Amino acid sequence: MTPCPVALSRDLPPGGVKRVFARGRELALWRGASGQVAAWDNRCPHRGMRLSHGFVRGDRLACLYHGWQYGTDGTCAHIPAHPELCPPATIRATGCDAAEAGGVIWVAPEGYAAPPELPRGLVALRSLTFRCDAARLARICGLEAAPVLYLPDHPSLVILPNPLPGGQVEAHVLTAPLPAADRVAAVHLTEALRRAAEAEETA
Amino acid sequence: MTFTLYNDVLDAECYKVRLLAALLGLSPRIAAVEAHPGAGHRAADFLALNPAGTLPVAAAGDLVLSGAPAILVWMAAAHDVTDRWYPRDPGPMAQVQAWLETASALAATAGALRREALLEHPAPSGAAQSAEALLRRMELHLLLQGMGGRGWLVGTHPTVADIACFADVALAPDAGIALDPYPALHAWTLRLRALPDFLEMPGIAPLHALVDPLTGHR
Repeated sequence: MTPCPVALSRDLPPGGVKRVFARGRELALWRGASGQVAAWDNRCPHRGMRLSHGFVRGDRLACLYHGWQYGTDGTCAHIPAHPELCPPATIRATGCDAAEAGGVIWVAPEGYAAPPELPRGLVALRSLTFRCDAARLARICGLEAAPVLYLPDHPSLVILPNPLPGGQVEAHVLTAPLPAADRVAAVHLTEALRRAAEAEETA
Repeated sequence: MTFTLYNDVLDAECYKVRLLAALLGLSPRIAAVEAHPGAGHRAADFLALNPAGTLPVAAAGDLVLSGAPAILVWMAAAHDVTDRWYPRDPGPMAQVQAWLETASALAATAGALRREALLEHPAPSGAAQSAEALLRRMELHLLLQGMGGRGWLVGTHPTVADIACFADVALAPDAGIALDPYPALHAWTLRLRALPDFLEMPGIAPLHALVDPLTGHR
């Protein structure tokens, strides 16, 4: 299956961690100091705390609860309460394949799959969440649901939809390289699309 | 000149005042008022000071101010010699005023939902939808500000508007409002938490708490 677009690369700087969803699976998405991205099930193997509440130190993600640290490969590297202990390799965060392409972070919850081909030179505009499902988002754009929406009325815009739990969908929006004023107009266009989709939802 | 702040540690409005005081390097005398469960803001001596029975209150000699917006403006106008926290140019000054009103609307919605979650004081109906509309408006504004090279609600330096809006945004998760859908808003909260002399409150951690005590690295 196609991997899920879960965030724009620029919204996850080094040292960042955030909660994302990939086909209903809740994940902690984080980026180490050296730039590597990882996506793990959002629970610490120790006590089940959400790892998305944790914090990044160097190239490790530390759980907020007891500070257990996990390296980018998911194995536990440090337990603060037992600083002399070399944690056994069986203590590890389980993850999904995560990759970056075209300024977007893609997560493959069912195992590795290549992100869809996108036109070269697209620039990240914004991510926003719609209170409607992916089918309605596509319809408001004049399209059938698809992993990549090329807006027929706005050829410089590309929307990557990612369905969320609760019947919502997040839209990662990319554009062709545009002058600043046109980028502002594109942002307002995304707001108008959301107003239209959500008005249809309540109608 | 110092002043006395009538303060409840868990109250988001009081936190706004403590936060700006810390950022400006001021050390008000703190008079603790236990609003919950003690109802200290309903006691006769407090009502004599502020008949509205609301926190926070700042008292500096004969000057008694109530409400975070007024106290924030007074602190910045009186104590910030750089004029950056409360700009004096008419345009930015009026924009700050508009965001102070947004901050009050956030307090009445997201803030009310937090009080409902923590204290079981019922929030007004429709508060969640109104809070979402406000957060979406802030997200849009901060996105456009960022595209124009401005990192704050008004201009390129934080103002009292940022402080007033920050508290209820940063505490929104305590109200059951996830900030995941608002990347520009999230980045703005990180910038604010990274300011020198940032002050935390229960529910809002400082970034420097994450510095490794052994290496000094974040």
